[in-house]
Amino acid sequence: MGKTKTKVKSNYNASLTFFQKVKKYRVLLLMCLPAVLFFLAFSYAPMPGIWVAFVKYNYRDGIFGSKFIGLDNFEFLATSGKLLSLTKNTILYNLAFIILGNFLAVFVAILLNEMRSKWFKKVSQTIMFLPYFISQVLVGILVFNLLNYDTGFVNGILTSLGLERWQPYSDPNVWPPIMIIVYLWQQTGYNSVVYFAAIMGIDGEMMEAAKVDGANGFQRIRYIILPSLKPTIVILLLFALGGIVKGNFGLFYNIVGTNPILYGTTDIIETYVYRATMTDFNFSTASAVGLYQSVIGFIIVMTVNYIVKKIEPDYSLF
Amino acid sequence: MKKKVLALLLTTTMIAGLTTGCGGKDSDSASSSNTNDTSASADTSAPASNDSASADNASTDNASGGDAAASSDDPWANVDTSEHVVITYMTTGETPTGTKEKYDEMMTELNKILTEKCNAELQTYFISWTDYLSNYNLTLAQMDGTVDLVGTASDWLDAWPNSKNGAFLELSEDMLKTYAPQTYASVPAENWELCKYDGEIYLIPEDNYAQWTNHGFIYRLDWAKAAGLADGVKSWEDLTTYFKYVKETYPDIIPWDSDGTQYAQMAGGWIASHSNYVPIDGINSAAMWGGTRDDLYTVYSPFVTDTDSLVEFAKMMKEWDEIGVWQTDVLNNTSSTNRDDYRIGKVAAEQHHTQTWTDLVSHTPANTIYDDDPNAETGFFYFGQETGNVTALSITHGAMAISAGSKNPERALMVYDLLRNDPDCYKLFCYGIEGVSYEVTSDGLRTTPEGYNQDTDNINGTTNFWWGRNDDLEILDATRDWDKINALYDEYDKIKIEYPYGQFVAEVDNIRSQISNINEITTNYMKQIAFGKYSGTAEDIVAEYQSALKAAGIDEVTAELQRQFDALYK
Repeated sequence: MGKTKTKVKSNYNASLTFFQKVKKYRVLLLMCLPAVLFFLAFSYAPMPGIWVAFVKYNYRDGIFGSKFIGLDNFEFLATSGKLLSLTKNTILYNLAFIILGNFLAVFVAILLNEMRSKWFKKVSQTIMFLPYFISQVLVGILVFNLLNYDTGFVNGILTSLGLERWQPYSDPNVWPPIMIIVYLWQQTGYNSVVYFAAIMGIDGEMMEAAKVDGANGFQRIRYIILPSLKPTIVILLLFALGGIVKGNFGLFYNIVGTNPILYGTTDIIETYVYRATMTDFNFSTASAVGLYQSVIGFIIVMTVNYIVKKIEPDYSLF
Repeated sequence: MKKKVLALLLTTTMIAGLTTGCGGKDSDSASSSNTNDTSASADTSAPASNDSASADNASTDNASGGDAAASSDDPWANVDTSEHVVITYMTTGETPTGTKEKYDEMMTELNKILTEKCNAELQTYFISWTDYLSNYNLTLAQMDGTVDLVGTASDWLDAWPNSKNGAFLELSEDMLKTYAPQTYASVPAENWELCKYDGEIYLIPEDNYAQWTNHGFIYRLDWAKAAGLADGVKSWEDLTTYFKYVKETYPDIIPWDSDGTQYAQMAGGWIASHSNYVPIDGINSAAMWGGTRDDLYTVYSPFVTDTDSLVEFAKMMKEWDEIGVWQTDVLNNTSSTNRDDYRIGKVAAEQHHTQTWTDLVSHTPANTIYDDDPNAETGFFYFGQETGNVTALSITHGAMAISAGSKNPERALMVYDLLRNDPDCYKLFCYGIEGVSYEVTSDGLRTTPEGYNQDTDNINGTTNFWWGRNDDLEILDATRDWDKINALYDEYDKIKIEYPYGQFVAEVDNIRSQISNINEITTNYMKQIAFGKYSGTAEDIVAEYQSALKAAGIDEVTAELQRQFDALYK
């Protein structure tokens, strides 16, 4: 039914000239305009600047006037011998963030949806939403004050219970769970809003029908809500995967800081590059790293999209 | 059809580009027109100053200097200063908040003089201490005339990399002679040589100001004596004794509440105290390459060669960590206020340089330890004391440069010349308005006037003019304990050598990635070693560190620096 409808429409559209179409859809186009302008100004217009990754940048000669030196700026990444472990850390953390984050967000959205007390629903949603607005710097300080050895809150409780003090800032192995918990604490409220909105958009008639047919709450979730959320989940996952090589600098830098004991499990590309290039302030090296991350991200998105397309063409991004 | 779409897209891009570009410009010009407005009052005095300039002109003919106003022949008589300009001076430091009112008053006074003498006024652009190096370099990279005068330094503010990057203007001798004649005459030719890169002068050195910025430990001399060190701390071993005593006697006091950033100074200090190493400034922050006092021009890195000494260092720092000299989570401690805690007696030591000691040793109002305990005394153990290994400061530890993006470099030089050499400008800019922010005692020392409030009236140390201080114009601070300070300066003068590598500007383009990696490795290992936070034995961690350095190519860097040394010094 829906398909034939669009087909008729597209035939009709084809008979219009470009300007007629512009006129006809002017309101929709106008609504698109800010987004289009945004991407033109901040994503496409600066793109030629990638060139800076291939030159020996000199302030006075500018990006295009500086001397071309090929791939020399990438040498620093390769010779550090850490590229593999940094990329691995970055990707594994992001995978954990994406998978657990989305899972928890869907879970919370469903819980919110099932809540009967409107008052309680609003309050809990707000409380979960709040951490999202806290600056990462403050989060770093909060974590330090919870966990530090001499004056930390956790150690205060442990000693008053007569237990031994815990020394997390000297133990790299405890940090992956801590980082993930902090991330989830901060992001889940915000992420769940999208899913909550998607649940709100599910046709009420289906729910009514299921109720009439005698489906209980769990069955309604299993057979109606989750399948209806599937496209949203897939699209959000695909979007998130594009940034999988881009680490969450604010989170890691503020929580771990520059404590080398913990680098083994917490060092991501961003934090490493920040430390290594901060001292000699080299735009070109930094851009080279950015380009490396973008290229890897591009490859991952294309691959995943290709796989999704093979399995379920409707869900792919393009 | 497609073409039309493309055309539309292109036009939108263009429009987008134009609007964003214009937006930026608009706000710029708006702000600059604002500043012009505020300077309107100064503008009106412009013709007057021109008049006086021509009067000067006339008087130069019979240049006897009889009348006071046009006494010295105006060196800028032939310079066109008809247009009133605003010169922006960039310095590291915090924008005055509590003292803002007095700061503004001082700047108004100063700008009156500057307008009269060279028809320019001064503005300060503060680079706040948080991430100062990144913000400093970013501002320089803008190159849009945001700043004119740039306070810089070869050892801590990337003066040479920025010269190479084209951020600074080449200063020809003609320019300097014409626009900064007093400065040009006061800096000896051999010092100008040290400010050259590739044959061009980029920096104006602060070479007439005595200061010592060699690091060491500032400690409570009275407590050290009680700990059995009758002459005070004379070595690192004495420090161990001292810290142990403090920890046992005053359990509430953290002996030294350090943050995690002190590792490089500690390692460098240890090496200075245990060898004749003379480091080269400005290659990396840990200063890992240099020569020895006996053989200055053979490059080596003690971090590779002095294995036994490093192991000993690692062992001692582990001992300090176990004593509890610093907090357990020192590496994550970013909010240390150790120096202020020292002033009020909450800690027992501070690691910093001699200049800081001259403050802490003196009974100033802020140092309340001397009020609370009449026996309190502050000693200084300087790194290199055991071996007498002290090197004087490079003259480009503070220097002024002109931004290559400056629209009025000539006027900027004139303003600098006045700030540095004109007694009125100098005193205003460094100490504030006399009678408000400072007073001069009968014996020529600087003190604070009646009713003075440090939080609202202080100017000294807020304008941070560390790029042209001048001992001919300095007024010594009466609150400082000059007997003790001069005694230490005399001691330094007996053992010091001049900084030997002033003329050496390392070309690091070919070894940049090695140096970046070496920095990263050193930070990681040195933090663990210098705070005793490593697991395993001291021998293991040092061996691991050194093999990481080797793998990162430290030998290549040493060889390359040696090659450049040979080209310069042989």
